Amino acid sequence: MSNNPLIQTVDLKKTYVTEALETPALRGVNVELHKGEFTAVAGPSGSGKSTLLHLLGGLDRPSEGDILLEGTAMSQLSKDQLAKLRLTNIGFVFQAYNLIPVLTVLENTAFVLELQGVVKSERIKRARKILNELGIEEYADQYPNRISGGQQQRVAVARAVVGEPSIVLADEPTANLDTAMSMELIDLMKRLNSDKGATFFFATHDSRLLDRVNRLITLVDGEVADDDVRTAS
Amino acid sequence: MKAAIRHLMRNRRRSILTLCAVLIPIYFLILMFGFTNSVIQDMFESATRFDTGHMQIRAVEPPGSGSALPLINDPSDALDILAEMEAIEWFTVRLDLPALASVDDRTRTVFLRGVVPEEIDPVSNMADRMVEGDFLSSERDGVIVGEELADLLELGVGDDMVLLSAHPDASLGAIRAPIVGIFNAHEAAIGRMIVYSNLGTARRLARSETAATAIVLRLNGVRGSQDTHVMEATADALRAQLPDSYVVQGWLELLPILSGYLDVLVPMLVIMAVVFFGLGALVVVNTLYLSVMERTREIGLILSLGSSRIRVMGMILAEAGLITAAGAFYGVVLGIGIILIIEAFGGIPLWGQMAAYMREMGITPVLHMSITAWQVLLSAGAMSIVAMMAAWFPAWKASRLEPMEAMRHVE
Repeated sequence: MSNNPLIQTVDLKKTYVTEALETPALRGVNVELHKGEFTAVAGPSGSGKSTLLHLLGGLDRPSEGDILLEGTAMSQLSKDQLAKLRLTNIGFVFQAYNLIPVLTVLENTAFVLELQGVVKSERIKRARKILNELGIEEYADQYPNRISGGQQQRVAVARAVVGEPSIVLADEPTANLDTAMSMELIDLMKRLNSDKGATFFFATHDSRLLDRVNRLITLVDGEVADDDVRTAS
Repeated sequence: MKAAIRHLMRNRRRSILTLCAVLIPIYFLILMFGFTNSVIQDMFESATRFDTGHMQIRAVEPPGSGSALPLINDPSDALDILAEMEAIEWFTVRLDLPALASVDDRTRTVFLRGVVPEEIDPVSNMADRMVEGDFLSSERDGVIVGEELADLLELGVGDDMVLLSAHPDASLGAIRAPIVGIFNAHEAAIGRMIVYSNLGTARRLARSETAATAIVLRLNGVRGSQDTHVMEATADALRAQLPDSYVVQGWLELLPILSGYLDVLVPMLVIMAVVFFGLGALVVVNTLYLSVMERTREIGLILSLGSSRIRVMGMILAEAGLITAAGAFYGVVLGIGIILIIEAFGGIPLWGQMAAYMREMGITPVLHMSITAWQVLLSAGAMSIVAMMAAWFPAWKASRLEPMEAMRHVE
């Protein structure tokens, strides 16, 4: 693990403003994430987990503070530059699978590569390889509605890692899965972390997942209440 | 592109609706073109075959003469030039004179048209319209009149008619001519007004052995009004060669009423096209916008994965392009197909007042349809452009979505 952080947040604040009221979601978060980490952010509902994840992924803008991704201040980037940064540096796994319904498993997996401009033969090869590694190659030609929730979430993980991003951000990835499927998915991500050195950052309350991470950041009321680095199983 | 096709297949009912929004305006416009082409061709055929020829050479009206049909005292110089021109298929000399027709104490204002009977066939079917007596001959003095004039003047074949000419360019003339035949004019006004004689008889009335009022021409290579360029080129060549005392006038110039009618047809077509295209565009905007709304989460996902906004726009426009291309194709196939079927059955015969009106306008009351490749391209191309312009708004709205807000969208 390098000493230079992959991502660093600097006094990160986010306040949601509506006509009636202002709701602070993050109140000055300073966190550093390093390459190869398998980190979770936990906390009660409304603690700011998802907000932090969205800000780290460049899907939303902070109200104050900044995020440095490999030294680049995200606040300085335009919307288009942020989109490009997401494409090349960040993989996403969302709670609700979020696969594109008109694309097959293989096409969903290769979609990020297509956006990156990888030639068709190469993206098919890479997508098949990752599907094979995740044990779902047999579903390559199926549409998302033809496979189970657990399989869909595996496809989402495959799509998140196929472009070899700097970090994979996963928002409650096991929330919609039963125990067996959750455990399979956690094993899978853990394997990608240990075998390929993929960096994962989860927002979750799933204790099964929290038990497996090697760093746990706890947010309470939009502030870091605890940052526990440990040896995970 | 594959994804665009699948998106269209996913919501077939809406895709079919969008396709119809493109197809129907193209189909109707092709039919409208087919109909107006038929009307224009009928007008052209009727006018050039039975009246004006493709063009006429007339004398320049002397200032203040008061004559709409100035006399050509001797057209031989123009005839010599025409005889040498390859573009001229056929020509004949005509002498039109305003006259008074009198039988006993009954008198009518008429228009005496002196023609060369043996040459008249290319621009008149008068010989086929005889209901009593014979058609004219250059060898025999006499006139033919319409049934209506015969009734008004109470005369029949073999009776004599006195004609008094009052042409401002000619001295007052009077002749007595026998009625050799009575024709059916189809149009009452013509039947009451026009009296035909051979050219010699008309010239006797004009007291001139060489007078004419028009040289009527038909040209080689002219099939319809679409060959205007051929007619204009020939007219220019004639103007260059003829003395300044002549004027060359095209068929539409000779028939200002028809010309005015044609002038109204084009704006009417444009108005109908705007209405059809506007309605089509509204449906395209509506269905594509609904599609974008329904796929807000999906578009948010695509944007969150790092897709550029231009790509999202391109995705929606690709779908619009596919459906537009399909709509244009089927619109063209349907439009041309209907025209071919109608023509295979000999056109649509019209009836009632419409048919009577068309007859009066000199148009056959059968709806024949034809279309040119250019008109098909214009119909399909214009609607396709309108549809793609209409698709721009939903595509732009999709590209402007904020990824997270879009992904939180609840349908």
